[in-house]
Amino acid sequence: MANAAVAKALVSDMAKPTSNFFSLLELPLDFTVDLALLSHNYREAAKAVHPDRYASASDQDKRLAVQRSAELNQAYETLKSTTRRALYLLNLQEPMDEEATVQDTEFFMQQIQWREELEDLSDSEDIAALEVFKKRLRQLRGELDIEFAAVWQDGSQRELAERLVRRMQFLDKVLYEVRQLEERLDD
Amino acid sequence: MKKNTMALVQIVEPNTPVDKSQPRLAVGIDLGTTNSLVASVRNDVPVPLADTQGRFALASAVRYLKDNTVSVGRDAKQCASCDPYNCILSVKRLIGRGLEDVQQLGEQLPYRFQDGDSQMPLIETVQGCKSPVEVSAEILKVLRQRAEQVLGGDLFGAVITVPAYFDDAQRQATKDAARLAGINVLRLLNEPTAAAVAYGLDKQAEGVIVVYDLGGGTFDVSILRLTRGVFEVLATGGDSALGGDDFDHAIANWIVQQAGVSSDLEPGEQRRLMRLACDVKEALSSAESTLVQYKAWQAELSRADFEQLITPLVARSLKACRRALRDSDVELEEIAAVVMVGGSTRVPYVREQVAHMFAREPLADIDPDKVVALGAALQADVLAGNQADSDNLLLLDVIPLSLGLETMGDLVEKIVPRNTTIPVTRTQDFTTARDGQTAIALHIVQGERELASASRSLARFELRGIPPMVAGAAKVRVSFQVDADGLLSVTATETRSGVEARVEIKPSYGLSEDAISRMLEESIENAEQDRKARGLREQQVNAQRLLETVRAALQSDGNLLNEQERALIDEQLEKLEQAQQGDEIGAIARQIQQLNAATHEFASRRMDATVKRAFAGRQLEEV
Ligand SMILES: Nc1ncnc2c1ncn2[C@@H]1O[C@H](COP(=O)(O)OP(=O)(O)O)[C@@H](O)[C@H]1O
Ligand SMILES: [Mg+2]
Repeated sequence: MANAAVAKALVSDMAKPTSNFFSLLELPLDFTVDLALLSHNYREAAKAVHPDRYASASDQDKRLAVQRSAELNQAYETLKSTTRRALYLLNLQEPMDEEATVQDTEFFMQQIQWREELEDLSDSEDIAALEVFKKRLRQLRGELDIEFAAVWQDGSQRELAERLVRRMQFLDKVLYEVRQLEERLDD
Repeated sequence: MKKNTMALVQIVEPNTPVDKSQPRLAVGIDLGTTNSLVASVRNDVPVPLADTQGRFALASAVRYLKDNTVSVGRDAKQCASCDPYNCILSVKRLIGRGLEDVQQLGEQLPYRFQDGDSQMPLIETVQGCKSPVEVSAEILKVLRQRAEQVLGGDLFGAVITVPAYFDDAQRQATKDAARLAGINVLRLLNEPTAAAVAYGLDKQAEGVIVVYDLGGGTFDVSILRLTRGVFEVLATGGDSALGGDDFDHAIANWIVQQAGVSSDLEPGEQRRLMRLACDVKEALSSAESTLVQYKAWQAELSRADFEQLITPLVARSLKACRRALRDSDVELEEIAAVVMVGGSTRVPYVREQVAHMFAREPLADIDPDKVVALGAALQADVLAGNQADSDNLLLLDVIPLSLGLETMGDLVEKIVPRNTTIPVTRTQDFTTARDGQTAIALHIVQGERELASASRSLARFELRGIPPMVAGAAKVRVSFQVDADGLLSVTATETRSGVEARVEIKPSYGLSEDAISRMLEESIENAEQDRKARGLREQQVNAQRLLETVRAALQSDGNLLNEQERALIDEQLEKLEQAQQGDEIGAIARQIQQLNAATHEFASRRMDATVKRAFAGRQLEEV
C-alpha cells in the first residue's frame, strides 16, 4: 500500500454523546458541578461496575463490566474538566462543529502575544517568569469558566458560548505547552 | 445444588465463590527482576509463602541443564559465572522487548541471541532457543508449585504484578508467561499500586500516597488517592530500564577504569565482576566505606564516592517523580505518605534524595521486598471472591504511556493519553487521503514522542476492502479499548460500507498465539489422557459456576425479567444442566454459550440495577 499514513481526524468522539454523563453520575445537568460529589458518585458507581467485581463471573459479565466502566470513566473525565464539560453541555443542546474556522479577532491577537511570550520564556529558560506566566493563564482560564456559566443556557447567546469554549480549548493548549516547557527545563 | 434460603434479602455479589467454607486458592505473585515472591491471604492476613527450606524470595534466575532439567532460584544464580550461557538472570529486562531494545539497554548481556520470527530475542541454551516468555514461565511454574503445595490444592488464579511503566508488549508477554506456566491470571496489577494497597489497608490511611519503587531493573513512581478503600491512581511514571543493576554497572565500570583492565570481558568474567560490584554496593548500604578487590588490584570505595557514581541515576528517578507529580495535579503539601518499595531503596542516598524531594521522611516499615506480593495477594483474594465485603477494596489504575496511531508524515495522533483511567474506550474517525483508496494501514504506537518512528511500535494492521471513493469521503472509525489489565485491543470500521477489521494487539515482540498453544501442548504431551480429563473437568466446573451465578442472579433480580424472558433463560439453564452431567466437552461449551446469549440482556439490566443500588446505599448512608 503506497499511502501508509492515515489522514487527520474528522470528528472527535465527543461530538455525539450517546448517554447523558450527568444522569450516569447522578448529578443535576448544570455547568456548575460539586466536585466532591462528582468524585464521590464516581467511586460509588465504579464499585458497582468495575471489572474487578466480575473477575470470576461469566465472560459476558466481564465484557459488559469493561464496557460500563469505560463509559463511566469517560463520563467522569468529561465532567471533571470544565472545558470538556462545557463542550459536552453545548453538544447536548446541539452538536458544535469543532473544525469550523471562526473569527475571534480580539482573542487572536492575544494568542499571538502568548505564543511570543512562550517562545521568549523558552529561550530565556527563566523558570520564575514561567511560573508567573502560568499563574496568569490559569487566572484567565478561571474567568472563562465564570463567563461560560452565565451564558450557556441562553440559546440566543450560543455563539458566545461556543467562542468561550474555543478560548478554553486554546488556553488549555497553551497551558499544556507550558507544562512541556517545564519538563524540558527540568533536565 | 444448595437452595439459597436467604434469597429475598440477600444481594448476591457477582464474585461470590461457589462454596463459602472453601475459599478459592488465590495468590499474588511479584515477578521481580532479581527476586520473585508469592503470597496469599490466610485468616484474613496476607502472608508470603516459603519454600520447603523456609525461604521466601526466589531468585529470578533460570538455568537450563544438559540433562533437560531446569533449575530455578539460588542454585541457578550461583552458576551464573560458571555456566553463563545457560543461566538466565534478570530476564524481566528482556521480556516483551525486541532484540534492538535489548542491545540498547547499554550493557553487555552475556547471552547468545538469535533473531526470532517476531524480532523477539531468543537466547541460545543447551536446551535450544528460549524466549524471555518461556524463561519467565519457568519462574512462575516454581512459584505456582510452591503455592499449591503450601495451600494444598489447585490454584484458582493469581494476580501478577508488573512495573507500572511496562508498555503493552511487556504486559502481554508477562500474561503469556503465566499462561505457559498454567496460571489463570486474575489480573495484572501495577507494582506500586500493589504496594499502596498493602500499606493503605494496613495503616487505614486516607489521602494522597506516593509510591517510590526502585528494584533491580525497573523504576516506578505512582501517585494515588485513597478514599475509603478506593485506590485511585492519579499519575504514574518511571523508567522500565533503571534500577539497582545500573548501580552495579556504575561500580563495575569504576573498577574496570581504576584497575585498568579491559572492559571487553568474556561472559563468565563479566558475571563475576557484576557480582562483585553488587556485593560492594550492598555493603555500602551499612558501611561508610569498603575494600574492593578485583584480581590483583584493590582499592577502598567510600560511600560518598559511590553516591557520586549513582547521582545521575537517582536524578533520573527524581525527574520521573516530578513529572508524575505535575501529571497528578497534586501539590506537595497534599501528600500524606511516601512509601519506599524495592531493594534499591535500601541505599541511604536514595532515601535521602527522596526525603528531600518530598520534604518528608519516607515510610519503609513494611518489608520493601515483600510489600508488592502482599498487596497483590489482597487483590487476588478480592478478585477470587473470598472476601465477604469486597466493597473494602477497589483499584482504579491508569495506563502509563500514551497510545496512538501513526498519521501522515510520521506523526503520532494520540488516542488515549497517558494516565487515563482504565478500562477505557476511545474512538477517533479518520479518512482516506487519496481518491479511490481501498485500504488503510494502521500503525499502533505507544509512548510520549511526537514521531512514530521514535515511539514503541505495538502492531500494524490493515483495513482492506473499502469501496473506492474520493479522498476524504470514507470514514474509518478506529476504536481503542484498554482493559483492566492495561491490555489494548483495536478495531477499525469503515462506517459507510461496514468493512471491519479487528486486532487483539499481539505486539511484534511477543509470542504468537500458535506458538503459545504449541508450547502448552508440548508441555502436556505425555499426559494426553490427563489433559482430556482435565479439560472436561474444567468445562464442567465452568458450567457449574455459570449455572450457580445465573440462578443466584435470578433469585435476587428475577423481577427484572418478564415471564417470557424468564422462560427462555430457564430453558437454557435446563439444557446446560443436562450437558454438564455428560462428558462431551463440546456440548457443554455450546450450552454455556447459549446460556450466556440468553442472559445477555438480563446481565445488562442487572448491572444498571447494581449502579442504582450503589447510589441508593449512599443516600441512606448520608441521611
Ligand atoms: N542492602 C542493599 N543495599 C543496596 N541495594 C540492595 C540491597 N539489598 C538489595 N539491593 C538491591 O535491590 C535490587 C533488587 O531489588 P528487588 O526489589 O528485589 O528488585 P526486583 O523487584 O527488580 O526484583 C538489586 O539490585 C539488589 O542489589
Ligand atoms: Mg520489585
